[in-house]
Amino acid sequence: MPGAPPAPAGLSSLPDRLTRRMSDRKEDEEPAEAGREDPQREALLIEQAQRGNHEAFEALLKLHQRRIFALAGSFLRRRQDVEDLVQEVFLKAYLAIGRFRPGAPFAPWLHRIAVNACYDHLRSIRRRPEVALDDLAEREKVFLSAAGQSDDRAAARDLAERILATLSPKDRLAITLREVQGLEIAEIASVLGCTRPAAKVRLFRARRAMQAALQGLVRQEEQMAKRLRRRGRDDVSWGE
Amino acid sequence: MTCHGANKRLTREGSGADLSIQDEALALHLAACDRCTQALRTARLSAALLGALREEIEPGPSFYLQLRERLRAAASGIGQPEAMLLQAWGYARRLVPALALGVLFLAGVTISLGGRRPPLPVEAGRGREVQAFSLEELNLPAAVEQPSQDQMLAFVLMQGEVRGSAAEVRGTRSER
Repeated sequence: MPGAPPAPAGLSSLPDRLTRRMSDRKEDEEPAEAGREDPQREALLIEQAQRGNHEAFEALLKLHQRRIFALAGSFLRRRQDVEDLVQEVFLKAYLAIGRFRPGAPFAPWLHRIAVNACYDHLRSIRRRPEVALDDLAEREKVFLSAAGQSDDRAAARDLAERILATLSPKDRLAITLREVQGLEIAEIASVLGCTRPAAKVRLFRARRAMQAALQGLVRQEEQMAKRLRRRGRDDVSWGE
Repeated sequence: MTCHGANKRLTREGSGADLSIQDEALALHLAACDRCTQALRTARLSAALLGALREEIEPGPSFYLQLRERLRAAASGIGQPEAMLLQAWGYARRLVPALALGVLFLAGVTISLGGRRPPLPVEAGRGREVQAFSLEELNLPAAVEQPSQDQMLAFVLMQGEVRGSAAEVRGTRSER
């Protein structure tokens, strides 16, 4: 690109990541999604909501609902559970809107409430010690043996849920915020209440733990396939 | 490329990026190393799984109806005074640590400046003749810097024992 500033050293993979994230975004995304397009309208809605106007509060939530639903959806499997969690988030926001400082950005404030609610949810569910191949449903096994090339999204979600359930709540939160929500390290650090290097380390460990769990499954699956092949050969030789 | 280098790249790129192997050195290494090939497979799986969690969810038709109900219930449950109390508690909560520090500081200053109060006088006497002795009157040995009332009384009784019959000496602590 003529006239474009050179990319800083060490950030060679950044353009790829950026374009990937941009392409992930829907074309028909609501322009006022982040409240950036019409800050005056958002400020007015906040002011009215702080005075107890339910309609204004609802309109405000509708501007930001997409991000909150996506966040809750990355932690919860069932649609009803997602809606319940989002309702909890919106209710908390309603109870706290009186303390919201006028002029401050609303989207991060609401997102923070949602992240905290998700973290509370993760802490409340029991952590699975490990995943075994026998625990998987047939569709998940098919997805695993296809090495992720299958189009079965539901199976992928179930398998992801199983694997992520073996991580600690903080690790799971970190990896989901980064890989699913696309948050920057600084934002993750602020959510986790730690420094940027600490958030990076946590993220690295979470990725490694996830890959270790997957590797265990892949190994088990390969052993199973080998055993089946051997049994098939034996059957053939017996037949002869 | 070594297994360590390949693993490092795969872990870094396994963060959901496109894992098509364009690096020739990495491709050569993967062709020769089963372990790293498996690591690549895992990284691709990991990216696919995390990608599946990205989902657009629209609220159901009854979502906002239910929310409206809950908001109304919350608004009626929490009246204006309670809401104000909650708000006040929100501010007070931030002040509590500062207040606690202030109290600790004041307590420290009082202790360091005030020191210990001198003990009250003690009373001792023979028969009806009762006398009060203050610390200054007793003329205790210099080694006893801050004597307690019990120590002062013991000293008075000891003096009485020296002067007369111990059975006739009685001592009491002076009460405020």
